[in-house]
Amino acid sequence: MSASRFTGGVELATGIGLRSPHYRHILAEKPTVDWFEIISENFMVEGGRPLEVLDLILEQYRVVQHGVGLYPGNAGGIDRDHLKRLKRLVKRTNTPWISDHLCWGSIDGSMSHDLLPIPFTFEAVRKTAENLRMTQDFLEVPLAVENVSSYGDFNGNEMTEWEFLAEVSELADVGILLDVNNIYVSSINNGFEPLEYLNFVQPERVAQIHIAGHSKYERFIIDTHDHPVIDPVWKLYERAIERCGTVATLLEWDGKIPSFEEVWTEARKSETWRESALARKADHAAA
Amino acid sequence: MRPLDQTQREFFAALQMPLRGRSRASTELAPADEGHSPEFLAKAEELLKQGKNLSPAESLELYHRQYWFRLLDSIAEDFPILRKMAGEESFWSLMEAYLLACPSSSFTLRHLGGKLADFMADWEGLDDSKRLWFSALARLEYAYMEIFEAAGWEHVTPDQFATAELGLQPHVKLLELPVPADLCRDWECFSPVDELVTHVAVWRGDGGSASQCRIDPVEFVLLSRLRKGGTLASLFEDPTDREPTPEEVSKWFANWQGRRWIALTPALQSEDFPVVLHREMRDVDWSRIDKMGSQARAMED
Repeated sequence: MSASRFTGGVELATGIGLRSPHYRHILAEKPTVDWFEIISENFMVEGGRPLEVLDLILEQYRVVQHGVGLYPGNAGGIDRDHLKRLKRLVKRTNTPWISDHLCWGSIDGSMSHDLLPIPFTFEAVRKTAENLRMTQDFLEVPLAVENVSSYGDFNGNEMTEWEFLAEVSELADVGILLDVNNIYVSSINNGFEPLEYLNFVQPERVAQIHIAGHSKYERFIIDTHDHPVIDPVWKLYERAIERCGTVATLLEWDGKIPSFEEVWTEARKSETWRESALARKADHAAA
Repeated sequence: MRPLDQTQREFFAALQMPLRGRSRASTELAPADEGHSPEFLAKAEELLKQGKNLSPAESLELYHRQYWFRLLDSIAEDFPILRKMAGEESFWSLMEAYLLACPSSSFTLRHLGGKLADFMADWEGLDDSKRLWFSALARLEYAYMEIFEAAGWEHVTPDQFATAELGLQPHVKLLELPVPADLCRDWECFSPVDELVTHVAVWRGDGGSASQCRIDPVEFVLLSRLRKGGTLASLFEDPTDREPTPEEVSKWFANWQGRRWIALTPALQSEDFPVVLHREMRDVDWSRIDKMGSQARAMED
């Protein structure tokens, strides 16, 4: 089981992202789902439908917040107003932990609305860790950072991405949201061995795992979250479980979203992979 | 070693350069023959490595196009009537100029069009006959976004009317438009009529539905006073340009109350949550909730 220090002591199994095409089904049918992940920024509003829906969901389900706008890699620091809005939402959802991406995304208040890659330098490690520490202290809830998909490497990188993730998470003392699909996407785009990345991740820090599908082009892969999970990504997931034990696992499906049942069925495939990984781990331990 | 701040500034500046080449051809923007500027290509070489599969320019271009696709998709979704009135070519020319001049400054794409009306008021790309209309239309269409996410306060009950501190629901937006841009909704193409100051209210109803209606100029003044808060009597303490008849006032109040516009002004502490009223969830329009739902949306080719 993942280190409870990074999950607020809460153990969750399989979840899916809460997306608007499924609202009607979820509220009417109340399907059995262990937990939902919400995009924090969609609910950082004063009122209206987003909060009405959220409150109804919260009455019946555990919700974990996942953000896309913290930008902890920003050289200019964290937006304090954003943190205040996040904290209000944290109080509303009672999320056991909160996650966002290991990326940057804005300059002087101008927003990219993208998850931009951080140069893997020691300066960036220090700045990002400082931002994450401040965020976690302010939010008063465990924070996990997610490795992003990337489409290129910076000149002047002083370490690999997996070394950067390890350095930042140690220095900031935050958890890791390990996205195995993103490892796969970046490995194809940037030419590295995904298992080398995965085997370097500190298992004791992994609070959550993301799985997702992507779109393959001739020479690169785009992280579109609009397809089922492919076998090479499932195999990375299996290896991650073998290393980390049972970890809260979430399927992301954000584009061309199929029915709730189809998404949930895809998410539950993780249970089979998880069982086989844990069985293999037990075999190794017994041997 | 290039400082982190410098790297990010240069990377972001490259993203904000105009779209070119095949990426531009994938959008509705007017085609441009030229490829990337030498500045863009030089910046890519400076910042990024030659990868196994992607050149520095291709890597930077993937981020560049994602930036533009996402903004263009989002803003077009928010101004459908303006798009129809302006026509495709003018609309996309306007959007490109706007996004170059006014990059997003909010954590959510829902606010992307917040400066569009003011931008058009000064933009030389519009002739004077359209400037006033399109700017007013942008204000009207943006009001729909504002009411979507505005707070909802507790409704006032009849027994509270006389003495309570009243307010206008935050999800009611009052607009004083220099032209009757509300008519554009029913036009197939831009067909301007006489310029006439027009007062419009846009509001969110039960179930999240959005509505708009014209309001009388004096009604507008009274509602603006209600927005500032006060007792029923205080709304009438100062004179208005025209003295409304008792019948008018009675009818207006009946409408406001019927539409649930009148609220009790909350005494919120800074950390309190706004009141959210639980409603029956049938027949609800769920669109636009997840404006930020997918960072990947615009990454599709």
